[in-house]
Amino acid sequence: MQVILLLAKGATEDTVMKKIFIYFVFSLLVVQAGFAQVDRSKYPEPGPAPEIKIGEAETFTLANGLKVFVVENRKLPRVAFSLVLDRDPIFEGDKAGLTGFVGEMMTAGTKNRTKDQLDEEVDFIGASLRASSTSIFGSSLKQHQEKVLELMTDVLYNPVFPAEELEKQKKQALTGLATNKDDPDAISGRLVGAVNFGKNHPYGQVQTEESTKNIQLADIKAYHETFFRPNIAYLAIVGDIDKAEAEKLVKQYFSKWEKKEVPSFDYENPSKPEGINVALVDRSASVQSVINITHPVKMHITNDDYLSTQVLDYILGGGASSRLFMNLREDKGYTYGAYSSIGSDKLITRFSARASVRSEVTDSAVYEMLYEIRNIVDKGVTEEELESAKANLSGSFGRSLESPSTIANFAINTERYGLPADFYATYLQRLNDITVEDVNQAAKKYLNPEGLYITVVGNGSGIKDGLSQFGEIKMYNNMGDPAREVEMANEDITVEEIFEKYIEAIGGRENVEKVETAKITSSAEVQGMKLNLTSIHDEPNRQFAQSVEMMGNVASRTVIKDGKAKVTAMGQSQELNDEQFEAVKMSMFIFPELHYEEMGYTMEVDGVADVEGKDAYKVIIRNPTGSEIVNYYSVEDGLKLRNENPMAGDTTYEEYEEYEGVFFPTVSTMKSPQIPVPLKTVVESLEINTEISEADFN
Amino acid sequence: MRKFTLLTLLSGLLCVSTMAQNKIEFKEFTLDNGLHVIMHQDNSTPIVTASVLYHVGSKNEDPERTGFAHFFEHLLFEGSENMGRGEYMNKIQSSGGTFNAFTSSDITYYYQTLPSNKLELALYMESERMLHAKIDEVGVETQREVVKEEKRQSYDNRPYGTILLETLARAYSEHPYQWAPIGSLDHLNAASLDEFLQFYKDFYVPNNATLTIAGDIEYDQAEEWVRMYFSEVPKGGEVRRPNVNEPRKTTETRDVIYDNIQIPAVIQAYNLPKKTNNDSYALDMLSTYLTGGKSSLMTKELVDKQQKALAVAAMPLDLEDGGIFIMYGITNMGVAADDLEREIDNILTQVKAEGISERDFQKLQNIIENNLVSKNSSMAGIAQNLAEAKVFYGDTDYINRELDKYRAVTRDDIQRVANNYLTLDGRVVLHYLPKSAQQGE
Repeated sequence: MQVILLLAKGATEDTVMKKIFIYFVFSLLVVQAGFAQVDRSKYPEPGPAPEIKIGEAETFTLANGLKVFVVENRKLPRVAFSLVLDRDPIFEGDKAGLTGFVGEMMTAGTKNRTKDQLDEEVDFIGASLRASSTSIFGSSLKQHQEKVLELMTDVLYNPVFPAEELEKQKKQALTGLATNKDDPDAISGRLVGAVNFGKNHPYGQVQTEESTKNIQLADIKAYHETFFRPNIAYLAIVGDIDKAEAEKLVKQYFSKWEKKEVPSFDYENPSKPEGINVALVDRSASVQSVINITHPVKMHITNDDYLSTQVLDYILGGGASSRLFMNLREDKGYTYGAYSSIGSDKLITRFSARASVRSEVTDSAVYEMLYEIRNIVDKGVTEEELESAKANLSGSFGRSLESPSTIANFAINTERYGLPADFYATYLQRLNDITVEDVNQAAKKYLNPEGLYITVVGNGSGIKDGLSQFGEIKMYNNMGDPAREVEMANEDITVEEIFEKYIEAIGGRENVEKVETAKITSSAEVQGMKLNLTSIHDEPNRQFAQSVEMMGNVASRTVIKDGKAKVTAMGQSQELNDEQFEAVKMSMFIFPELHYEEMGYTMEVDGVADVEGKDAYKVIIRNPTGSEIVNYYSVEDGLKLRNENPMAGDTTYEEYEEYEGVFFPTVSTMKSPQIPVPLKTVVESLEINTEISEADFN
Repeated sequence: MRKFTLLTLLSGLLCVSTMAQNKIEFKEFTLDNGLHVIMHQDNSTPIVTASVLYHVGSKNEDPERTGFAHFFEHLLFEGSENMGRGEYMNKIQSSGGTFNAFTSSDITYYYQTLPSNKLELALYMESERMLHAKIDEVGVETQREVVKEEKRQSYDNRPYGTILLETLARAYSEHPYQWAPIGSLDHLNAASLDEFLQFYKDFYVPNNATLTIAGDIEYDQAEEWVRMYFSEVPKGGEVRRPNVNEPRKTTETRDVIYDNIQIPAVIQAYNLPKKTNNDSYALDMLSTYLTGGKSSLMTKELVDKQQKALAVAAMPLDLEDGGIFIMYGITNMGVAADDLEREIDNILTQVKAEGISERDFQKLQNIIENNLVSKNSSMAGIAQNLAEAKVFYGDTDYINRELDKYRAVTRDDIQRVANNYLTLDGRVVLHYLPKSAQQGE
């Protein structure tokens, strides 16, 4: 039950009563303090700013190059070991996503322990152990520190990378990719990376299904062999331990770690954008537009202007009292939140200003965001804004020091980036010394309102016109690639022609019309479990039945007969209402295209769209009650590629194969808000004009 | 009156257990108006947390006015006689601090963490809240709307969001624990301004509050400021607390709830003893044994092996007058709620009959120890634990003895509490089913 405080706008009436309370603090025993005068009419003044004592980290280096930092903090009997690799960013190319697997694979079993044993041993001592491609972290109570080191170094030296574990991980990754392919925030993330840095840069590359499938065990082994080397590693030890003890332990566990030259990589910096570039991903299902106004920027913690840009960023869009938030949310009500950020990176980073806004106000929101960026560059910031930003930034710096790992990070950063030894000790002083002029100069130097990318993910048809006022719109697809130009191949094509071409493509009207009954079994996999689907069509009697089985049990069954549909699931039966029946009734036909007209549907062609890289005619089909579905037919070969149904979800058809002269899709992928991940079904058997009994429809 | 209770270092001498918990030092005193003050000095970081625990929760509410305690948690950010609307939050943030608050069935807790040179500011602001908070029609109206949105967002619109509400309503027939802190919007709408003012007068009084200061402080200076700002707050009357004994239930309560969900869930709830009862520790360990961590019994058996559940969780919701041990399982695709419930019951039966192994017992002790130590890793955490130790256990030094309490639990205790409390005849069982399943009936 966190506090959610929303204050009515304008409700700032001032009822401060200028009253001074004089109060007697009466005490029998205490002779001092007879009176205490409290002026409640104003806030008490803060005391002198406290001296920030930043704890010292002790350091030593092993012969193999491992640099160790020890921060002794005896408050709690805990010790944490954090190993970090400092390597150049890697461009993974056709194996994009590779590094994402390394950590899970390293903790998936060693020469000495299976994965189960490892999990059990970690749990047994109440510890944590996790790894990534550039780190291993272990922590526990003091008394278990040696055990944690033993497990941690076992993972470091002896991972076995089981093949079945990689398969499992890849499957999960593919599920994740399929899910975020359509996620507007994920699309925006790919687009922003791609426009700023280009897809041939480590910060612009995109993991795809294909690149994921390309990843082999050997790649992960090679990565581990190449990059897990002490000469590029930092080990931070924080907690109930002193340098002498840490040194003894580190020597014992890390001395045998062999050093080896680690490759370094250079990348060409992306060119600065010229003028205003509008990049749009058309996502027709969107009701909100994800806006990110961005450009690459060189900024790193080592830069003299680093702190000025942090202050600048706070004033522009760092929090709930910053300009973007006040304008777009508090004043205009376009969005739940609007923020900005300026990164910090050795190589290159980016400025970005972002907000998710309702579709109708997309161009207005972009206009206001551009206004705020231009305004802060042209007019600068106020003294009051500067003071508030300083207070906020120094407050969070102070609070961060509570965690001893912050001290270790400071020590590592100082070493890693060659910062002055007193960099953090003087942090607050330097922050305090920043002037309005410093911030204004930083704004001019690092923000570039006349050379940037306006990236938008949203419903193109509704927002495209509005966005064109900012510049020429370049279309992109979900994966951050420029969208193919789709042109209407034949402006005058009719629905009848499209259907005829489709029927021709699947075997010709004569063959297709011969099909009266069909029994199709197919299977799908959900979270490691197999689903079996059986569909039986009986067109002459207008009957249809579909069962979904899981682990031998019928999970759901749908039956259409006598003009009604009944769904049974989880032991409950339900007859569909009229509206629901309308949505499912066409599925009783094997080829609904042959029946739309007689069933009273109306159809129209709505141009050509891109379906998984193919041009397809978009046909909108309206049923007599007015609801719509959309089918897509390939321009090139006439085959049906996709069906969009607002109630049942989207189904994509692939891999057409011939059965008795008629072609059926053997792979269909269904997406729906009702199911957590896309469901891919594969036909296992298909019988045409087979024996069907009345019992099939009970 | 100056009543410093300086703690002796007894525990270090008397306790031979291998205590992993470092001792937390503190000083405390009580003002004449009844305000209890606890201070913990730690000068390692120049920050300070100041918090006030008001010993009022939803259990103190009139059954016709539920939701009051939580409503006050919102209302008391509205300002005071000297602080305008909205100033509270802005002042804390522009001073480099953070703040938050929560309400439970038993308490309402407010805290802020600031740079340590702003302790006086924090004390001034908390004293304003206690002395003369602004309670007027405008604030009440504003916060009614906010609480309405909160209820929609956190309960009504969230899948499974009503589990606690529905469970509490069935687990208690007499005790005010039967309603959750969010309470009833109708009650809030029906309440008059006078009723809100009366609630403030009844419960937001120094004799019902515990002020805790933890961080970079000097004890004398902190105490001086506390006396300066809080002494003038008038003492309130005696605070009314429910005196209701929830009768022990003898039959199982079973219901089906249709919710906006896709996947069914099984909920079981068992009534617990009072929070201070020694069995609470064994029950907490039992819940960890069942569902805490990747290698816990139910997670391994139901999620990994049988794959009947997507997730399972058991947690003791320990409350002053006796809470509930609540357990839920979300079914895997195609698994019926009944089927999952049968397997949960099988595991419970097995634990009751066989108890737990020595190795699992050791693992539990290690996990508990690690959790307890981590509880006190921040000033905000220490402040809250100190305050709760005083209010719930009547002794601030409980913070240093909690681990011993867990250490005293034996393997037999865990088996015993499983048998004593997880009884089929008094429990509540709910099946959450998709709304679509309801129409079929």
